[in-house]
Amino acid sequence: MPLSVDERWDLIDKISKQTVTFGAYKHTLKDAIAELTVKPLTGIPVAIAVIYGFWSFFCDFAGTLFTDGFMVKLFDEHWLPWLQSVFPGGLGNPLYALMVDAGHIENGVLVASDTCFESFGVLTSGLFVPFGVVLWAVVAFYLMFAILEDVGYLPRLAVLVDTILHKIGLHGYAIVPTFLSLGCNVPGVTAVRPLETRKQRFLMITLLAVFIPCGAQIGIMQDLVPELIGWIFLTLAIGYLGFGFILNKIVPGKSPELVMDVPPYQMPMLRNIASKLWIRTSRFLLVAVPFVMLGCLIVGLMYLTGAMDWLAAVFGPLLMGWFGVPAETVAPLIAGFLRKDLAVGMIGGLMEQGIMTTFQVFTSVVLLCIYFPCLATFVMMLKEENWKEFLGSIASLVAMVFIYGGLIHLVGIMLGVA
Amino acid sequence: MDEGEEKFGQIYFAVLGAVALAFGAAELIASAGGGFTWGILDSSGATDPLFLPWRAIILLSVGFFYLSSVKDFAEVHQLAKSVMGSIMIWIVAGMAIWSRIASSIPGEETWFNSLDGFLASYAPPYCPEMFLLPFSLVIVYYIFKAGETEK
Repeated sequence: MPLSVDERWDLIDKISKQTVTFGAYKHTLKDAIAELTVKPLTGIPVAIAVIYGFWSFFCDFAGTLFTDGFMVKLFDEHWLPWLQSVFPGGLGNPLYALMVDAGHIENGVLVASDTCFESFGVLTSGLFVPFGVVLWAVVAFYLMFAILEDVGYLPRLAVLVDTILHKIGLHGYAIVPTFLSLGCNVPGVTAVRPLETRKQRFLMITLLAVFIPCGAQIGIMQDLVPELIGWIFLTLAIGYLGFGFILNKIVPGKSPELVMDVPPYQMPMLRNIASKLWIRTSRFLLVAVPFVMLGCLIVGLMYLTGAMDWLAAVFGPLLMGWFGVPAETVAPLIAGFLRKDLAVGMIGGLMEQGIMTTFQVFTSVVLLCIYFPCLATFVMMLKEENWKEFLGSIASLVAMVFIYGGLIHLVGIMLGVA
Repeated sequence: MDEGEEKFGQIYFAVLGAVALAFGAAELIASAGGGFTWGILDSSGATDPLFLPWRAIILLSVGFFYLSSVKDFAEVHQLAKSVMGSIMIWIVAGMAIWSRIASSIPGEETWFNSLDGFLASYAPPYCPEMFLLPFSLVIVYYIFKAGETEK
């Protein structure tokens, strides 16, 4: 027999008397620390220290220990020379150029590459980029991300940045997809689903696709241009906030508040961290490796057939005139559609050949970040947005690239470095 | 926490806070002027100039955290400030140690470093946070004390 409303309330009273303890709650040390990390005055210095730790670990683990310490030696001193000596055909042979080393021109002579960044073969750059550089960057990133997630710091960071992100039509939760995108844009785009309105999802996806470099790209940047990486991030952050502010004003729709549950701090569990790290890294590699190798193959074929020279001739004036980068940048920009990390690696190759100035390297890397999402992110955008939103994202993206790319060039001219 | 322990904590973290502030100010000046090395103290930012100004900001914050915790030190919200300051030192010093570990394992020309090269990686000079690290560990005692009080 069903209970009446009064009987139900009586039952609730009885249960609560037996299960709930009433009294004044006294704050513990853990509560007090949790409070300190969400109040702006104390939370911001803590956030700086956490991000400092995150970044230091990332640089030393991926850059110093694995990539520079072991992988560069393995690929440049052993793998590349071995392939150069045993692969049939030799320099100038089309298959050799595609698979091992396309070489480069020095004083009118075609010479062999010294590094896997320069060689651009499927078996050299195609393996070095994902396994020599990107893998370690991704492991370092996801390890730290999982620790912060499991400790309970990320929701607090969300509370801390809530006010700033409201200015661009988002709320604190947007820090999660943003942070996740710093590992890989694909899960970052998926993570926008909890945002309430279509406007917020549109804003978030567009900003992620344009201004957030993935862990792979950051790993290569850290390896190639460590002295510029701070400026690159600053430029991207200004773009993220500036264009976010403008898009928020232009795009119709609502940006409601969000009530978030902030869990207590807790000790991370090794098993959880390990399984998260394994799932995210293996998924990343499954996506990255085929695309990097395919990218090397396509770019190599375009060089061999002369398509790249044709594209460089067509787009060269635009690249030089509007963005202030050399026509040779067209090849990385094409490769960047498949994998941005590969494209940054190509810029490294151009840099080593002395084709670009420091400012051009900086502009090219920023352009690579903002000009178009990689193919995997592109597919994910198609999945997460309807056609109207997708076309809107692409239109915003094109406008942002031209405006921001042109602005960077202009600043360079005014400073006398472009 | 008894009165003696509270008094000791107040004096200790006031001094540590002042030292952290002084180191932070020195690092801030160093980051503007290209850095310095003084005996076994290194604020040159030779390995990572990008990190130097951020380290300075963190150290200054640590100093403020410690100093602001001194009044009514035994109260849990005040103690939390000292704990947070110490955690921030552990993060920065921990990363400085991790950086040395990471660079000490691979060799210059060989796969692995020689024993001499390995040991040389841990030789001074050290950054200010590494000097503060052992002194910041005193907070562990107060964390245990606070845990006992909560029980």
